[in-house]
Amino acid sequence: MKKARLFIALITAKLLVFLIRLLGRGKGTSLPGSIALKIYPGLISDLSSRVRKGVIVVTGTNGKTTTNNMIARILEAGGGRVLINREGANLINGVAAAFAREMNFLNSRAFDYACLEVDEAAFPGVASRVRPCCVVITNFFRDQLDRYGELDRTIALVRNALKEMEGTRLVLNADDPLVAQLGRSTGLQSVFYGVAEHGGVTRQGAAAREAKFCPFCGHELAYRYYQYSQLGSYSCPGCDFSRPDPDVEGTSPRRGGSFTQCRVRFRQGSAVSLEVPVYGMYNLYNALAAYATTLLLDMDPQKAAGFLKGYRPATGRMERFDYRGKPVYLNLVKNPTGFNEGIGALVEMSGADLNVMIAINDNDADGRDISWLWDVDFEILADCQERIREFVCSGYRAEEMALRLKYAGILTSRLVVEGDFNEAVSRVLGGGAGKTCILATYTALWPVERILSGYAKRDHTPAEHLPHVS
Amino acid sequence: MPRGITPRLNICHMYPDLLNLYGDRGNIMAYRMRCLWREIEVAIHQVNIGDSVDFDRMDFIFLGGGSDREQSLMAADLAEKAGALEQAIEGGVPVLAICGGYQLLGKYYKTLTGDIIPGLGILDLYTDGGETRLIGNVAVEVELGGIRQTITGFENHSGRTCLGKLDPLGKVMAGHGNNGRDGMEGARYKNVICSYLHGPLLPKNPFVTDYLIACAVKRKWSIPLKPLDDSIEMSANSVMLKRLLGP
Ligand SMILES: [Zn+2]
Repeated sequence: MKKARLFIALITAKLLVFLIRLLGRGKGTSLPGSIALKIYPGLISDLSSRVRKGVIVVTGTNGKTTTNNMIARILEAGGGRVLINREGANLINGVAAAFAREMNFLNSRAFDYACLEVDEAAFPGVASRVRPCCVVITNFFRDQLDRYGELDRTIALVRNALKEMEGTRLVLNADDPLVAQLGRSTGLQSVFYGVAEHGGVTRQGAAAREAKFCPFCGHELAYRYYQYSQLGSYSCPGCDFSRPDPDVEGTSPRRGGSFTQCRVRFRQGSAVSLEVPVYGMYNLYNALAAYATTLLLDMDPQKAAGFLKGYRPATGRMERFDYRGKPVYLNLVKNPTGFNEGIGALVEMSGADLNVMIAINDNDADGRDISWLWDVDFEILADCQERIREFVCSGYRAEEMALRLKYAGILTSRLVVEGDFNEAVSRVLGGGAGKTCILATYTALWPVERILSGYAKRDHTPAEHLPHVS
Repeated sequence: MPRGITPRLNICHMYPDLLNLYGDRGNIMAYRMRCLWREIEVAIHQVNIGDSVDFDRMDFIFLGGGSDREQSLMAADLAEKAGALEQAIEGGVPVLAICGGYQLLGKYYKTLTGDIIPGLGILDLYTDGGETRLIGNVAVEVELGGIRQTITGFENHSGRTCLGKLDPLGKVMAGHGNNGRDGMEGARYKNVICSYLHGPLLPKNPFVTDYLIACAVKRKWSIPLKPLDDSIEMSANSVMLKRLLGP
C-alpha cells in the first residue's frame, strides 16, 4: 500500500514537472512537490532514506544557494552522485519536488549525497524528514520580516529543531555570534569556519548590525573588529561566550579580477591555498562553509580545493554575462546585508564607468514590505556617483527605488524610472559604460535573466584562464 | 530671521542603535534631506540607552519601533525621561512616533495573557495585543495644515490601539489602521503625529515631512518653506494609491 502510494506520487509529480515545463509555466519546482506530498506524505523521509552516504542541509539567511552548489560541486567532482534542489526551491514542496523529479522506482539512480538548501522557516519540517548527517548554517540577517516575524524567532525555530536531532553534525560560521551560539546551545558536535583578521576589517559596527546582545547572558557583545555586518571577532564581557577558534580559517584574503583567493589554515596546523571564481567577502565565507563541510565528509583537502576552483556561480549570484565584449553582472538582492554586499562588489569593480539597473518587486517571495530598502547603504553609491552614468530603476516598485536613491543623495538627473523589464534591460545595456551591473529581487531576477540572455552571452571563462594576481 | 545667519534645526533620533527595524532611519533621512535642500542646517542627536537629552532644545523628536526585547529596553530607559518628554510635547515640539513608539506614548499595552505593560501615559490611548498581525500596504486620508492628502505606507503590528479624546491621524482608505475596526489610523496631539505606517512614512509622503518641518520652523523663525520638486516622491505615492484604490 505504501509502495503504491509512493509510486502514484512519483508518477504524478514527474508528469506535472513535464507538463509545467512543456507549457512554459515555470521550472516546476513547487506545485508537483505539494501534490506529491498530498498523495504520499511520507515521500521525503522515504526517498531521503535511500540516499547512500547522507543528506546535507544548508540553511541561514544569505549564501544558501551558493554554499549548497559549492558543496555539490566538490562532491560531484570527487566522483559522488549528488541530488540537489537547485534554483531556490527551498521550501518543503521544493524539496519534495527535487526528490520526486530525480528519483525513480527501481532505485537505479541511487544517490550518494543529497545537498539541500532549506529556508530557515521550512527547516524544522524538512530536517525532521530528511535526518541530515550534517547541517551547515551560513549566517542570520534580517530578511522579509512580514513573512517570518522577527529574527530571534527564526533562530529559536532552527535551534529547537536541531535539539531534536541526534548524531547530526553542524558546520557553523564562527564569525557570526547568532550562528556560533548554536554549537553550545544544541550540544551537537560542531565544526567552525571563519575568516581571520586582515587589512580589510573595520573597528566600527555598521548600521544594519543584528547581534548586539549575548545569546546566553544578555550582555552587550564586545567586538575586536568587524568583517561585515555582525560578523567579526566578538566576546561577551558577562560570560565565557566568544568567537570559537575556527577549525577551518581563511587568512589573508585577496581579490582578483573575478575571483577571490585566500590561505586556509586548519586547526591541526596544516594549510592549503584556496581560489574561488566568485566576487566578494561574503562569497569567501560561502566557499569556506562548503570547504569545511566536504572535509567533514572526509574529502582530501588538496582535492577539495582543486574542485572548488571549478565552481560556476548560479543564476543571479554575481553571474557574469558578455554584451558586445563588455561584462554585465547579474546579482540577486533580498535583504539589507545581501544588498550591501552587492553594492560593495559593484563599488570595488575597478576601471571603467558603470551602468546600474535595480529591479524591485514586492511579491510574496520578495517580501511584500520593501521598507528594508531604507536599511541598505545606498549612500555608498552616492559617494561614487560620478562613475555611474545612470541608475535604471525597474520592477513593481521602481518609483520607490528611485525615491530611495534620491534620498541617498544621488542626483535626480541620473535616475531613470522604467517599470517594464524589457525597456529597462535594453536601456541599461545601451548605456554605453564599460561595465553593467544589474541587481534584482527574487521574482524580478527570472524575467530579467531571461531578457538579458536574449541580448548577452553567459560568460563561462574558466577560472584557470584568468590572470592571477601577484 | 536676521540676515546672514543659517537656520539650524535639532533632530532627536531616539534609540537608533536599538530601534532600527523597518527602515526607520528613512524617516530621519527624509527630514534631514528636505531641510538641507532648503538650506536649513540640521544637527542629528542620537540618543541611546543611558544618554541624557534636553528635549526642550529639540526641534523634532523621532521615536520608532523595535522587536519585543528592544521595545522593553527602550521603555525602561524612556520612563526616566517621560516627564521631560511630556513637557516638550506640551510645549509644541514636533514628534513622530511609529509602531512601538506610538504605543509607548499611550497609557498601557495589554498582552493577550492579560498582563499590563504600562506606557508613558503622555497620550490618551491604549493598546491591546491581538491574535493576528495586521500586515499590508495602507492608504490613509489625512488633513495636514488645511490640505487634504492621502498617505501611503506599510503596516505590520499585532497591537490594536484605541484612542481616547484624541484625533486620529486620518481615515483608512485601504488596510487595517489602528485596530482594524474603527477605520482610523494613527493619532494627533499638538505637534505630535503617531502612526503604524512605516514604509517609511516620511520619504513617501513629503507633505507629512514638510508639515513637521514647518511646525519646527514656525516655532523659531517666521520664514516660509521653499517648495521642492516632489515628482519622484509623488509618483511613488500615487503608484501605491492606484494599486490600493484603483485609478
Ligand atoms: Zn554572555
